[in-house]
Amino acid sequence: MEDRRTVRKRNSGERGLALLAALALGLYLVFLVLPLLLSLRSSFTNENPLKAQNDFIGLANYTEMAGDDQLRASLTFTLILAFGVTIAANALGVGFALLLNRTSLSYRVMRTVAFLPQVLSGVIVAFVWQTILTQNGLLNTALVNLRILDEPYPWLGSPHAALFSIGLVVTWVMSGFTTVVYLAALQSIPLELHDMASLDGVRGTQRFRKITWPMLAPGTTISVTISLITVLKLYDIITVLTGGGPANSTQSTALYIVKLAFTSDRVGYASAVAMLLLGISALVALTVTGALRRREVSL
Amino acid sequence: MTTISRDTRDRPTAGGRSTLTPPPHTRPRRRLSTRLRVAVAAAVTLVFVAPIYLMLVNAFKPQEKILANPLAPPWPPTLDNLTKALTRPDNLIPLGLRNSLIVAVISVALIVPLGSAFSFYISRKSGKTKAVILLVLSAGLMIPPQVILLPTIRILTWVGLDHSYPGLILANLGGGYLSFAVFVYVGFMRSVPDEIIQAARLDGAGGLRIWWQIVMPLVRPATATVVIFLTLWIWNDFLNPLFILGPLQGQTITTGLYLTIGQYSVDYGQLFGIMFLAGVLPVIGYLTVQKQFVAGLTSGSAK
Repeated sequence: MEDRRTVRKRNSGERGLALLAALALGLYLVFLVLPLLLSLRSSFTNENPLKAQNDFIGLANYTEMAGDDQLRASLTFTLILAFGVTIAANALGVGFALLLNRTSLSYRVMRTVAFLPQVLSGVIVAFVWQTILTQNGLLNTALVNLRILDEPYPWLGSPHAALFSIGLVVTWVMSGFTTVVYLAALQSIPLELHDMASLDGVRGTQRFRKITWPMLAPGTTISVTISLITVLKLYDIITVLTGGGPANSTQSTALYIVKLAFTSDRVGYASAVAMLLLGISALVALTVTGALRRREVSL
Repeated sequence: MTTISRDTRDRPTAGGRSTLTPPPHTRPRRRLSTRLRVAVAAAVTLVFVAPIYLMLVNAFKPQEKILANPLAPPWPPTLDNLTKALTRPDNLIPLGLRNSLIVAVISVALIVPLGSAFSFYISRKSGKTKAVILLVLSAGLMIPPQVILLPTIRILTWVGLDHSYPGLILANLGGGYLSFAVFVYVGFMRSVPDEIIQAARLDGAGGLRIWWQIVMPLVRPATATVVIFLTLWIWNDFLNPLFILGPLQGQTITTGLYLTIGQYSVDYGQLFGIMFLAGVLPVIGYLTVQKQFVAGLTSGSAK
C-alpha cells in the first residue's frame, strides 16, 4: 500500500508537469496560432494604422492581388530563387559530400570549414558579399585591374545580374547545410553494399547512379524540403544585399509583405499577401516532400 | 539514416573505393590519386570559403592594401580596424553583442524546460488529441515569420510589452523555436524506456520529478541539439529584433550592423573590422561544439 503522503506528493508533481506543459502550449497559442488567426481576419479588412476605423471588405484584398503587378513580380522572383537555389545547393552539396567523404585529418578540416557559411548571420554574410559584388567592390576592382573587364559590371545593379548574385549568395549559404546532410547520408550507406558492387565490377558513375544516389534519398528529401522553406521565407540577405532593388526586381514576397505592412501601412492587404505566401509555402512543402517521400520508397 | 556520431574513423568511407586487400602493384598509383584528390578537394574548399577568408584577412589590413590586393595575407597585420570598431562612439559592437547575448541566453534558457516538459507530458498521452497537437506544433516550423510579425507586435502592445526586450523574448518563446524544441525532444522521448518511468512512479516520484531527474539526463543529446541551434538562430535573427524591438531600444548585433553600417560601405577596413568582431563569437562557438553540432543536425534530420 502506498501511504497518503507519497500519493499527494506524486499528484502535485503531476500537476506541476501539466502546468508547465500547459504554459508551453499557451505561449504557442498566443504567439503563433493567435497571430495567424488575427492575420487571417485582417486580410478581410482595409486595416490601416493611420485610419481610425477599419471595415470588413470581404474578399476585396484577394481580388486586388490578381491585378497586382508588384505581387506577381515578387512571386516570380521568389519561386525562381527558391527552386534555383534548391537545385544548385543540393547539386553542390552532393558533389561536396562525395569529395569530402574521407576520414583523414585534412578532410575533417575541410568539412568543418564547409559549414561555416551557415554559422554566420545572414546580415554578416550579405555585407561581406556586398563588399565583393558592389559597383566599386572587390570583384570589379580585381576584374578591371586584370583587364578582364573594361568597366565595372553592375552585379547588384541590374535586375538579371542581381537575381543571379542573390542566388549565388544564398546557394553559398545553403550549400554548407546540404553538404552536412549528404555527408551523413553517405555515411549511413552500409559498407557491404559497396564491397558487393566492387566484386560485381560496378564502378564510377554507374555505381553512383545505381547505389549511392538511391541510398541518399532520405537525405535528399530533408535537404530539398529545408532548402525550399528557407528560401521562401528569406528576408535578411536580400534586405541587406539589394533592399529589393533595383526597381523592385529582387523584391521577394517576404520583403513585399513587410513593405506593405510597415512602409505603406496597408495592413489588411499585407495580411492577404501573407496568407498567399503561407499557402504557397505549405503547398510547395507538402507536394515536394510528399513526392520525395514516395520516391524514397520506390527507389 | 543513422547519425554521423557513429564511429567512422577507421572506415574506408562509403562512396569511395573499398580498401579490402588492394593488389600491391596498384599502391603507387593510388597514392598519387589520393594526393590529387586532396588537392582538388582543398582547391574547391578554398574557393568556397574565399568570402570568409576575405573577412578574416582584411580585418587586419589598412584600406589601401585591401583595395590593392584583397587576397593578400595581412602582413604586417594592423589592429587599427578592430580598435576603431570597438571604440566607436555609438558602442555598436559591445552593446550589440551584449543585447544579443541577453536575448539568446534568456530565450533558450526558457524554451528548453518548456519544450522538454511539454514533450514529456504529451509523449505519455496517446490518441487523437496528441496527434492533433503535435501536428499544429509542427506547423510552426514552416510558417514564414513575416506572416505573424504584425499581429505579434499588436498582441505585445495589448500586454504593454511592445518595443521591449521582454516582449522580444516572449515572442521567441511562443514561435517556431518552441516547435523546433518539441520536434527534437519528442523524437528522443520515444526512446526513453517506459519501465524506468514506471519504476520511478512506484517509488513515489511525481511527474515533475521524473521529468527533471530521470528524463532530462537521458535526453541530454536532444538538449544539446536544441541549445546549440536555438542559440545560433536567435543570435542571428534579424526580422524579429528589427521590428519587435524597433530602433529606439538599442540594437542586437544583427540589426545594429544593418542600421548603422550604410555610411561605412566604402571604408572597407572599418567594415571588415566590424564584421570580424560581429562574426567571431558564433564561429568560435561552432568550432568548440562542432561534434554535437553535426550530430544534432543529422539526427534531427533523420527523424
